[in-house]
Amino acid sequence: MRDLKVVSEAQKQINIDVSEVRRTQKRGEILSAFSLYILHIFLAVIVIFPLLFAVVSSFRPLEEIFRYVSPISWRTFIPTEITFEAYINLFTERGFGRIFLNTFFVSIVTVIFGIFINSMAAFAFAKFNFRGKTLLFLLVLLTFMIPFEVIAIPLYNIVDDLGWLDTYYGLIVPGLANGLVIFLYRQFFLDIPDSLLEAARIDGASWWTTYWRILMPLCKPVTVSASLLVFIFQWESFMWPLIATSSKSYRVLQVAMGDFVTEHATFWNEMFAASVLGILVPVLLVLPLQRYFVQGITGTGAKE
Amino acid sequence: MVKQKHVPYLFLLPSLILILVFKIYPIFDGLKESLFAPTFLAGENLFVGFDNYRMLLDDPVFWNSIKVTLYLNVIINPLQIILAFLLAILLNKKIKGIGLFRAIHFIPIAVSMPIALIMWNVMLNPEQGVINTILVAMGFEPQPFLGSKDQAMWVIIMIATWKGVGYWAIFLLAGLQEVPKNLYEAASIDGANKWQQFKNITFQLMKRPLAFVAVADTVANFLLFAPMYVLTKGGPENSTNVLMNESFNSAFIYSDMGRAMAINIVILIILLIVILIEFRFLRAKH
Repeated sequence: MRDLKVVSEAQKQINIDVSEVRRTQKRGEILSAFSLYILHIFLAVIVIFPLLFAVVSSFRPLEEIFRYVSPISWRTFIPTEITFEAYINLFTERGFGRIFLNTFFVSIVTVIFGIFINSMAAFAFAKFNFRGKTLLFLLVLLTFMIPFEVIAIPLYNIVDDLGWLDTYYGLIVPGLANGLVIFLYRQFFLDIPDSLLEAARIDGASWWTTYWRILMPLCKPVTVSASLLVFIFQWESFMWPLIATSSKSYRVLQVAMGDFVTEHATFWNEMFAASVLGILVPVLLVLPLQRYFVQGITGTGAKE
Repeated sequence: MVKQKHVPYLFLLPSLILILVFKIYPIFDGLKESLFAPTFLAGENLFVGFDNYRMLLDDPVFWNSIKVTLYLNVIINPLQIILAFLLAILLNKKIKGIGLFRAIHFIPIAVSMPIALIMWNVMLNPEQGVINTILVAMGFEPQPFLGSKDQAMWVIIMIATWKGVGYWAIFLLAGLQEVPKNLYEAASIDGANKWQQFKNITFQLMKRPLAFVAVADTVANFLLFAPMYVLTKGGPENSTNVLMNESFNSAFIYSDMGRAMAINIVILIILLIVILIEFRFLRAKH
């Protein structure tokens, strides 16, 4: 009996100790969660501040931008007069309608043809055995490793020889073949059982039908993430369009932005308006499709 | 796997032709190009062997660019990799609303480099920029930023880091999510403190993604060119004239493709050495 009592006393003591520990742990957790939030909010402000400032400033009349910057007051951050002047000027005075159209056209055409030819190549690599396969696949992997900037000059000469400088061809064709996209599709195709293909072949489907009607509909997630990657890659590409085009009629957004500083240095509200529009398109694509975007970029690099 | 004589080649054909013409051939053409120099006759190039390289070695502008490129990279790469790792750890914490914070750090990915540069350039304007206004309001002196040869490179580093860290953090976040949770539990039962857990579990298991990010980030930064083209044109006083900028100027302003290509080959060689060092440093021990 006495022994039992001692045991139960000890049990109680332990319970008290445990709840004590839990309480201090909890206090520590709340404190560290609080500091975590502070840190997160601080970082978020650093990321968002320039973007918010750009949005706000793009709705100001030009004179107001200079007027309220100094000394600092609420007017520095909040416009007293809202106008769409900057946006209208972009399209009427600076030809941004054409520029946006060009950028859209180049990006979308690259996505469509890029998805098509790269997934075809991936199909061959994933489902066939043929002579020179290893060598050809090494070639594809090699294209990952050659930074574009390093071959930009010889590429310029080739495109010049083809007569494609200052054309849509020059902007689109060199960027179509994409080792990364081939790699993404190949990984996905490898997981699709061969028996599915055999069944289709026995039913009399041609290889083309097997690829286009059976395999491609199965890999919509890859198609979404690869399309996103390619679209954003083209939307944001700067150095190649800068080199490959010179006339205004083939100008794309990033080149126009790059030259804005030298060409219209004082139209700050328009710079902000162009930035807002140029960010809006990829943001509208990336945020809702975040999951696919992450799959796309991490599916290749971080793992094997 | 199916054995077929012609079918696979037909599927490969379009992308293979494009890869050969626009990716593989330019490498060899570039190597060849670096051995030629322009002549006064338009369209004719003279074979000069390694003269382009020899001339580079005697060129103080080239040596300055080497110095500037290394200066930039010695700072920006460790800075971005460490910040991206810390950010990934922070975004991996399971707290309420973490989805929102993750989404916020995604946004700079959608901001292209030229746009990031334009926005920051206006805010960093020495006379009328909002950053100087804030500095003055906080009691600091206004700064010249891009107008100063001591600050221009740091401004570029700051903007590139603002844009880049979120992107690299995604790769590391994906890696962190694959570290098994029970390893930490086991370690804390064994009495390992947070730092020991980080050093012996997180860091060890993250070596592969870290190596990937380190290499990819280094490549990106060695080839960084847009900030110099858009903001500084290599100035003030050549303080931001990185090799890539010097190569671009040689090619497209002075039309000396040979010199430009020789510089690009030098960039590739330096890059290769740096990547090898990084791999040695982050080699996973198995």
